[in-house]
Amino acid sequence: MNALPTNNNLADTLLKIASWASGIFIVLFFGYLLFDITVNGFSRIDFSFFYESPVNAGRQGGIAPMLISTLLILILCLCISLPIGIASAIYLAEYTNEKQWFSRFIRRCLNIISGVPSIVMGLFGYAFFVIALKLGFSLLSGALTLAAMVLPLLIRSIEDSLRAIPQSYRLNAHALGLSQWRMIFQILLPMASQGILLAVILSIGRAMAETAALLYTSGYVMRTPDSIMDSGRSLSVHIFDLSMNVPGGEPSAYASALTLIVLLLIINTITAYISRIIKNRSIK
Amino acid sequence: MHQNSFTIISSLNKTILLTLISFILLTTGCEQQKTTPVAGGVAQLSGKLNITGSSTIAPLAAELAAIFESKNPQLRINVQTGGSSRGLADIRQGVSDIGMVSRKLKTEENDIQAHLLANDGISIIVHKDNPITSLTEEQIKSIYLGKIKNWKSLNGVDKKITVINKAEGRSTLEVFLHFFKLKNVNIKPDVIIGDNEQGVKLVSRNRYAIAYVSIGTAEYNIKSGTTIKALPLDGVEATTEKLASGEFPLSRELNFVTKNKPSPLAQAFLDYSRSNEARKTIEEFGFVPIK
Repeated sequence: MNALPTNNNLADTLLKIASWASGIFIVLFFGYLLFDITVNGFSRIDFSFFYESPVNAGRQGGIAPMLISTLLILILCLCISLPIGIASAIYLAEYTNEKQWFSRFIRRCLNIISGVPSIVMGLFGYAFFVIALKLGFSLLSGALTLAAMVLPLLIRSIEDSLRAIPQSYRLNAHALGLSQWRMIFQILLPMASQGILLAVILSIGRAMAETAALLYTSGYVMRTPDSIMDSGRSLSVHIFDLSMNVPGGEPSAYASALTLIVLLLIINTITAYISRIIKNRSIK
Repeated sequence: MHQNSFTIISSLNKTILLTLISFILLTTGCEQQKTTPVAGGVAQLSGKLNITGSSTIAPLAAELAAIFESKNPQLRINVQTGGSSRGLADIRQGVSDIGMVSRKLKTEENDIQAHLLANDGISIIVHKDNPITSLTEEQIKSIYLGKIKNWKSLNGVDKKITVINKAEGRSTLEVFLHFFKLKNVNIKPDVIIGDNEQGVKLVSRNRYAIAYVSIGTAEYNIKSGTTIKALPLDGVEATTEKLASGEFPLSRELNFVTKNKPSPLAQAFLDYSRSNEARKTIEEFGFVPIK
């Protein structure tokens, strides 16, 4: 940017100030959030907080069952949504063009799903998975509902990263007589892997923060789940209940929120690390 | 490039496969544990019990359930929240065994059996620094109807009153409306809230707000130093003590409800929730157990 000659007029200066200010605002905002949660939550956390069960509606004790439920819901949700997401993205990017009616219809559906408020998604999950499919309040119902929520995000970003691959790769693959299968699985997907992992990171973030959709599907039970058919409380639901329904639950709510943010940061770092390994390998 | 990308895919596949296998092992492993009988002297209860409904009762019910489960390791009690209306709907549909309803049952709800668990009062709260020390029923009514809009006309400071009301479907709202003989459509709220703690938070941060929340919640917060105060009603202090003695007028029932005669399992839990041991737990949550 420095190399470009600049015309220093008022509009340029204003734009510069505005964009800097916005950037600083975002950093400050996140900083304040983190500061507030850490200050209020850190004193409540000790090592036993992570392996003990909650006592007294969560005012004392730990959050071990919630951690387990959250991770199980997350893993299940990804196991369900990732194959469907990748397959749909491949269909949209490789088997149809953007103007075809069916692919336009799919995109329209995805846009609508991504705009549905999460409480509506929760009620849908309750009516469909919990009641109609008789899965009951269970981690599976919660994971299925979450999967439905993250699918639009997942499909659209994987599709975008597939489309970003230059057309010449496909033409070359066909010229070499590669089957569609080999082209997709050995060239296109590895090349799109960074985009896929980014989509996964975003989905994990969305899934871990979700409260309303899980309250009515995976439920409110504080026990450690025995199986995926058991009801289990996610960390986000726990934070919601502690801050809204339990007098004196605030310190534990802050501590749980801090745990949730740290967990998100850890997962993001690991995913970014995996993504770097894959990138380095595929460049060779 | 082909070679490399192929190994990536297969290693990815392996990871996914491993995760799945360990996951299945984990779940089936736990499943086996479940079937191992637990040796115990007393005849222990086993099975599953679903309880859904009022978010006011839910944390208490979950705690009672956890204690009851620890006495009967073969028993699973699942508590779900969502509001009193949901509690009623769920037991009518047979989705749950016990419902939680934080008000007295209406006469037309005679298809439902109520099992009184505790009493809860509703107190009017304002910010601690608000000079107002008491309000009459008529004044509270006028504030909520929007006839009194400024604290000045109540001999307070010259500031607009922020009226906080509860959302539709909350039984606190129903009890409040019933007591003051108000209709929700006539109330002119500035803020509509869902849960009790939300009301406390709003009032503690707004010197000119007024709200009504559960007495237990208000008392707990006042004791722990939150900047709110509870106003007396008809000259009776808003405390759990006055509620227990029956003097405090604005109170509501916290009920467990069942559709028919409760199942033996449900009955056992209902009995436990009325035992002397459970009283302590109920009091810890700021409610007044029945005598």
